[in-house]
Amino acid sequence: MAFIKLNDLEIEVEDGTNVVEAARDHDIEVPHYCYHPGLSRPANCRMCLVEPYGPIPGAPPGTIGPARQLATGCTLTVRSAPPERKLEEKFDAIIRTDSQRVIKAREDILEFLLVHHPLDCPVCDQAGECDLQDFSYRHGHDKSRYLEVKNVPPKKDLGPDVLLYSTRCIVCTRCIRFCDEVSGSGELGLINRGSHDEIDIPRSHEGIPIQLLDNKLAGNVVDICPVGALISKDFLFKSRPWFMEKANSVCSGCSVGCNVTVEYKADGVYRIKPRFHEDINQHWMCDDGRLGYHYVNSDDRLQLPLKRVEEELVTTQWADALTLISDGISQVEAADIVVIGSAQGTNEDNYVLQQFAHDVLNTTQLGLFGQLQGEEHKFPQFTIEADKNPNTAGARTILGSANGNVVLEGDTLWEKVASAKVVYLVSGCPERPLQDAEKDALEKVDFLIVQDVLPSEVTQLADVVLPGTTFAEKDGTFTNSTGWVQRIRKTIDPPGEAQVDWEITQQLAKRLGGEIDYHFAGEIAIAISENVEGYGDATHKNIGDAGIKLA
Amino acid sequence: MVQERRILYEHLDVPDINTFEVFKQHDGYARFEKAIAEYQPEEIADMVKEAGLKGRGGAGFSTGEKWSFVPRDIEPRYLCCNADESEPGTFSNRYVLEKNPHLLIEGILICCYAMGIETTYVYIRGEFTLGKKMLDAAIKEAYEQGYLGENVRDTGLNINIYTHPGAGAYICGEETGLIESLEGKRGQPRNKPPFPAVQGVFMKPTVVQNVETLCNLPFIVGNGVEWYTQMGPTYGDARFDPPKPDPNTGTKLYCISGDVNEPGVYELDLGLTCTELIEVAGGLRGEEVKAVIPGGSSAPILTHYELDTRLDFTSLTLAKSMLGSGGIIVMNETRNIVDCLLNIMKFYAHESCGQCTPCRWGTPWVRDIVQRIADGEGRQATITRPKFGVTESGRWGDTGETEEIYEDLDLLESVANNIANVDTMTWNTICVFGIAVSWPAVSYMRKFRPEFEATIREGELITLPVAEATVPPEENYAYQQRIIPKEMADLE
Repeated sequence: MAFIKLNDLEIEVEDGTNVVEAARDHDIEVPHYCYHPGLSRPANCRMCLVEPYGPIPGAPPGTIGPARQLATGCTLTVRSAPPERKLEEKFDAIIRTDSQRVIKAREDILEFLLVHHPLDCPVCDQAGECDLQDFSYRHGHDKSRYLEVKNVPPKKDLGPDVLLYSTRCIVCTRCIRFCDEVSGSGELGLINRGSHDEIDIPRSHEGIPIQLLDNKLAGNVVDICPVGALISKDFLFKSRPWFMEKANSVCSGCSVGCNVTVEYKADGVYRIKPRFHEDINQHWMCDDGRLGYHYVNSDDRLQLPLKRVEEELVTTQWADALTLISDGISQVEAADIVVIGSAQGTNEDNYVLQQFAHDVLNTTQLGLFGQLQGEEHKFPQFTIEADKNPNTAGARTILGSANGNVVLEGDTLWEKVASAKVVYLVSGCPERPLQDAEKDALEKVDFLIVQDVLPSEVTQLADVVLPGTTFAEKDGTFTNSTGWVQRIRKTIDPPGEAQVDWEITQQLAKRLGGEIDYHFAGEIAIAISENVEGYGDATHKNIGDAGIKLA
Repeated sequence: MVQERRILYEHLDVPDINTFEVFKQHDGYARFEKAIAEYQPEEIADMVKEAGLKGRGGAGFSTGEKWSFVPRDIEPRYLCCNADESEPGTFSNRYVLEKNPHLLIEGILICCYAMGIETTYVYIRGEFTLGKKMLDAAIKEAYEQGYLGENVRDTGLNINIYTHPGAGAYICGEETGLIESLEGKRGQPRNKPPFPAVQGVFMKPTVVQNVETLCNLPFIVGNGVEWYTQMGPTYGDARFDPPKPDPNTGTKLYCISGDVNEPGVYELDLGLTCTELIEVAGGLRGEEVKAVIPGGSSAPILTHYELDTRLDFTSLTLAKSMLGSGGIIVMNETRNIVDCLLNIMKFYAHESCGQCTPCRWGTPWVRDIVQRIADGEGRQATITRPKFGVTESGRWGDTGETEEIYEDLDLLESVANNIANVDTMTWNTICVFGIAVSWPAVSYMRKFRPEFEATIREGELITLPVAEATVPPEENYAYQQRIIPKEMADLE
């Protein structure tokens, strides 16, 4: 640990911490653009200049004064010094971020940054969450002294989801370093020199792109762009950031379980951005997860229960649908019923489902359903996993947690389904194609109950369809492939009369005389922590925003 | 009359000196042989330190001291020879490369021996095609003769030299920019620390030396420290008690261009005055000296009454200028300083690498302001504004007087100082390119302000007579603050 004096604070920080981070931990702002904790530090924006103190050359020993040159806070790290090099006999470093020189330097740098900036905040997507705006407001000048014509480099289409408004670019090179260091694909580079510097992808002499910014992590460059230069086409002109509400959640795209922030308004989810988690996704997420939320806002979402009337699925009321189901179930033996949970569902959904199967239906035949295996993508500092379900590990454990429960997957499951009379399948997988074996098995079922969010090949075969909810519409927890239990949070209301999955199961249980009675997801999590091995600490309160790792 | 003292250039005109045989006949490689026969590596490093050799590339940093920063326990270490001579007004390395490349190789051999280095990269300016050809040929010969390669001269030393051409960027003459370029990256300087001596080429300890510095090594080894220190003054730093010696020893290849009768490279002892130098170069062409740029285009300009300044590292630094690369440009009374500044600023705006913010956008801005002034569009020749101060009633306020200001000149000074402040010698940029921009901008403007003002007032380029164009000594900031260093002998 290093003991440093930062402005007037005397604080202890870890060895090797840089000044920007040390200051941020103590609520002191050191403005910066090029520095990003997940990337290398070229110190090219010169915005984070701070004033280190040290011995003055030529002065009597022990005299401390500000160094001649300001230093960049991003590259200036503090370490514990040997006793003879301590300053004022106790400090490992003395740094000021509020001296007149520092304030003047920030003003000067901001003036330069704005020389060629178009100041088109009124039409810029980044306005409201723009570092250039914020720091100019807090540290900059109020007027420009620049009279000449501004540079107007062209707007560029870099790839499937990324636009570059070069005029707004401050050439901090975060995006270039991201493509070099994290995605390892190196599509971006600087062209031209000096004040004509532009970010670009490789192009032929005619300007035709040779390689697009189309790697699966490309969307991150939009997040790390401190200004409005790199813009997501998906979010372009959709909303002002300050109109959106935010909720901390977890991505449902694959079993990595990237921490995300879901930004939403009353009418739907607007975008998903990664949230820092040191052990899981660091600062990043993939584009599959980032852009995979669109089904939540789809107009096709199931809003009312459906029942099959003369080979057609028609809408009906909840009461009618539940009666149909309870009648169907009570006509068959427990051994002929298969209950299939979803790897897309939360631990809470699956726990109630498992209780329903074990306690109410007295069946131990459970299955696990989810998205088909995808491809694994490995990057130097990031991996997208092949399992496209967020909660395979959690669902498997929880479905099998009660005495004697067997969780069937793959071929054995479909063999079992083919011989069953009633199947209660919780899907929740958007756009899930059915394989031949699965389709054959499901077609043989006498009475198929499907709980899903969108019409799909699965719902086509169902006798009763119940409208469930997506990750954005419910509270709960996911367990990722490495055993991290993390919370998802309700953002928007479910469409129409769709209901949270465990509530649907609970109502069914009540119809059949069961005694499952939960009021909110947190209550189920407490039940899980009491009854499921390994989940002892996994209450919502303990999990919080950081998640907990299973032992 | 001062005479040239040819040491590095002694055999420059010998026919075929670029071949191994002829070079060998003129003491070639004898100094290297002497080094490996008579001295331990550490002794050579000590000799260089004692000789007071200062880096000839521009910064004038003590070579021996630089070597002492290199950690000896990290392998491999590299030597990088900076032959990217691109400072406007400088053209001395070029002759060494083109005419006497074996001298450079011998210098490299001695440096490699002293520092225990096996690999040397020579980064040659891309435009020096002939220089590269000659050096490559000489390296080939040296390999054939056993002076390079495995087990050099049966001493067990392995020394290899690789040449690498630049692609024409000024900034690749900056040592870390050079290293980045050498590694195959965009030529952009690195943030320091770490310095190249600790993490240089491929993040290994690296000695970066100018061609001229390396060429001095054979003579220090061959003729001894005492012989070397006789040339040039050794000043005493009177801030210390007893005074700390500040050697400016050896000869310097001065590149004299501009309004002199015989421009060219002159090898002279350090410590001559500007006046003497102009005399050596055949005298002034024209009637009066208007200004002298003492060390390449980035050095602050000297006025006609500063010509007694001695042209060595210490004297020029204390006169608020610098010797830099020794590119001396003389201007006579016909030159317009605004025009000169515009020329230089166009160069810097074009050559800024664009890595860090102040330089990327400040340098073209400075150029634009100078361009505006030179075009006669300097904003409102003069504007008047109320002068604030203590009024008759004893309060702070509008005094009723007005003061004249030249807005664009203030802006020029302010913008240049925001890139790098010439008064405090601090810069917000990554490398010293920032100060290389603001030094000329501010010094030209401050020292020749009447000419700038006249240009703005009249709306066209006005060349004033020398006496009128120059700010008088009592208003010249640099002249007022300059310190004339005393030689050690005088102090004692």
